[in-house]
Amino acid sequence: MALKAYWGRRIASSLLVLAVVLVLNFFLFRILPGDPVSAIIDPRFSPQAKEELAALFGLDRPMGEQFLLYVKQMLTFNFGVSFLSQRPVWDEIRSRLPNTLILLSSAMAISALLGIYLGVIAAAKRGGFIERLVLWAGAISFSFPSFFIQLVMLLLFAFAMPIFPLRGSVSIPPPPPGWPAMIDYIWHMVLPVSSLVILGFGSWALYVRNLMVKVLGEDFVFLARAKGLPQRLILWRHAFRSILPPIVTIIFLSLPGVVSGAVITETVFSLHGVGRFLLESVTGQDYPAAGAAFFLLALLTVACNLLADLAYGFVDPRIGLERKMER
Amino acid sequence: MLAKRFLRSVVFATCGIAIFVAAACGVDVDAIRGPKIEELYLVIIRDPDAQLLALEKGQIDLLSDITRPVDIERLASNEELSLSLAQGFHAFFLGFNIRKAPWDRVELRRAIWQAIPRNQLVRDIFSGYSAPLSTFLPPASPYCAEDLEAPPYDLGSARRTLQEAGWRYSNGFLVPPGEDLPLKPMKILSPTAQVAPTTAELAQRITASLRELGLPMDVEPVDFSTLIARLDEHAFDSYVLAWQLSRDPDSLYAFFHSSMDVKGGYNICGIHDDELDAALEALRWAPDEEDARLAARRAQKLLSEKVPMVPIYSRYFVTALRKEWKGAVTTRIATADNVWSLLAMEPEGKMRPFYWCLPEEPRNLNPFTASSAYDWQVLGLIYDTLLTADPETLEDLPWLARDWKVETVSSGDGQVTRLSFILRDDVLWQDGEPFTAKDVAATISFLKEHRVPRFWDAVSDVEAVTVKGNHEITITMKNTSYWHLHQIGGLPILPAWQLASLESWQIWQPIRMIHPQKRNLTMLVGTGPFVFSEYRQGEYVRLVRNDLFWLMSR
Repeated sequence: MALKAYWGRRIASSLLVLAVVLVLNFFLFRILPGDPVSAIIDPRFSPQAKEELAALFGLDRPMGEQFLLYVKQMLTFNFGVSFLSQRPVWDEIRSRLPNTLILLSSAMAISALLGIYLGVIAAAKRGGFIERLVLWAGAISFSFPSFFIQLVMLLLFAFAMPIFPLRGSVSIPPPPPGWPAMIDYIWHMVLPVSSLVILGFGSWALYVRNLMVKVLGEDFVFLARAKGLPQRLILWRHAFRSILPPIVTIIFLSLPGVVSGAVITETVFSLHGVGRFLLESVTGQDYPAAGAAFFLLALLTVACNLLADLAYGFVDPRIGLERKMER
Repeated sequence: MLAKRFLRSVVFATCGIAIFVAAACGVDVDAIRGPKIEELYLVIIRDPDAQLLALEKGQIDLLSDITRPVDIERLASNEELSLSLAQGFHAFFLGFNIRKAPWDRVELRRAIWQAIPRNQLVRDIFSGYSAPLSTFLPPASPYCAEDLEAPPYDLGSARRTLQEAGWRYSNGFLVPPGEDLPLKPMKILSPTAQVAPTTAELAQRITASLRELGLPMDVEPVDFSTLIARLDEHAFDSYVLAWQLSRDPDSLYAFFHSSMDVKGGYNICGIHDDELDAALEALRWAPDEEDARLAARRAQKLLSEKVPMVPIYSRYFVTALRKEWKGAVTTRIATADNVWSLLAMEPEGKMRPFYWCLPEEPRNLNPFTASSAYDWQVLGLIYDTLLTADPETLEDLPWLARDWKVETVSSGDGQVTRLSFILRDDVLWQDGEPFTAKDVAATISFLKEHRVPRFWDAVSDVEAVTVKGNHEITITMKNTSYWHLHQIGGLPILPAWQLASLESWQIWQPIRMIHPQKRNLTMLVGTGPFVFSEYRQGEYVRLVRNDLFWLMSR
């Protein structure tokens, strides 16, 4: 019963967050200085022509009417038409999602797996080569801007040694569909994904190492060692399992980022992704596009938070037990 | 070392212009037939460094608008590339809010013009790849009165001018005539260094010059949207802004006529001057080119006296082309990235696709709502206009119209402009249908009836359109203005049958719709030299040669 009440409260608070985001999304963009029409600075575009453009965008309607239309569009997932492209916003997002999902989910998965593995090993073998590598990788990923690493990679592996392509996700002219197209796509994604892995695995490794170092000094690990359990079992079954909840939290909270894209990576490697779409929508004051994108991101963030809560119960039985004891 | 580098840059820039002048003498656009290119890819590469690498690696053939001096120098030393440099229509101004003190005092504005070392700024910041601007129109404009004298840099003289007008100095800062206290601190609005690094640097340098003159100025870097909003609300002291102007002097009316000091107007400085208004009205409503030229000169003369803005510099345009492509048309005012080049160019040896870099996504390929230069980089090759401009002189040239006439005729109480066009009779649409005057009439009527914002200024004054036979059309305007010729002559013409059945022009997606008769075409059907073939979002736009194009040898 208490568990039901707990989830009821969680879902209600999530819906409240979404409602707040929905309202803020509408008003924030309109409170910001300027509007999509005044942003046009072309002396050949007269004030009368600007009025016609405002009418085309529906900005001449009363604010209340605009708000109601916006709420209806968001709740029905029919996000209207982008001011910049005059195409349905949903089509715009959908055309960009595959590249972004593949780029960021593969980069995140590889960075997380590599980083977690190296972090655990570094904690187990303190002072060794792996620990030094982890500390260096962490320092590099925090110290160098991503565009620098990515441009260096482009210069080295696409220009000086042209192993990988310089741009995009497809060769020009494109290869025939099927396997050749798929191989061509993977070939194009190698550099962007590996650049994100280089930039990302260090922070994962550092984080896991620090957690593990703390856990390896705790009583239950001493007990396991005293029982004569093998080191591998102690590391992965006992110590690592106990740090899973914060890792799961980070993974779930990173998921919306997988959809929101990576502006700099998309720019350097000329990839058609959601990141640039978001940036252009905000800077170009494309209200329908920006509103829809932020609403979807908020929805995803709230859903991922709920999923993270659910996942806790699976990775750490103590959490479920605590809730039962609360009863 | 720096001096040597600067000299090298200036020599290069000067030589570049000299080469263009020489090249321009040989351009005979009447002799051009084409296009010879069979397949044209507009390749989307956003990052400027990646664009350079792609050019040097041979993955693109043409890269336009190279702005960084260091890149120009690097490409100039590449033997596989030829660079073309031209004066463009770029103009950068320092503007004032004349609605309030102290900017309402003309002697102060004149002194500021004298106190800014424009030549030095251009040398330091652009290594010579820009020209100091002394006029209110870019030098490439045929209406630019370059002979009007701009005051040379002379800080001492600027100070004397102010002192003679009653200004004095207190602790190094200026005190206006009749006042006891020096000027209060003021700001120059500028885009942030992140968004526009050179503009931000220029703003700093201009501020330093104004402080030397005795003005307590500081730079206020703001986000671009904020900058535009502040200008719109008149909440500023002064500002710096770059403009992309056109061959016609229409910017003068937009920038300086009192009727344009409204929300959404471009009279940002807020000048209201009867004498200037009269000159600008004479320019806007000039019945013929001769009157237009005289009025443009008169307006520029008044502006150089009243100085509502201070012209600072005009950027050169630099384009790099792989040398294996022959026949590019370059002039003093046009780099290799023009339609004449695309008609005339062919590769050495075997024909291959031509790759042209697009620095941004062409997000909207609907000719009614497309607004960015990148959208029109594509659409401009598919749709044609009635007239075009000579790449050397910018004079009108026949295109879809082989002849035209501008008349001032009596109508009702007053006089109006009547434009008559005789159309070419050998033009076919890309689907094989003949192009006729009905298409022109349908385009103008559609744009006016539906109040299409992008073209509203061109068609709002159209009173009547009369078609005479298949190849003659007369357009009567509501008033008198020579510029109607360029506005109507510059409209993209669409097929009448398409317009007749088009309902939701606002969300029309012609590239996603198959042509009802020709299954290999989309609904993006023009009369231009290239046919739309494929748009792969984020990757490229593929165009193929229009074998029915009227400049093809048939």
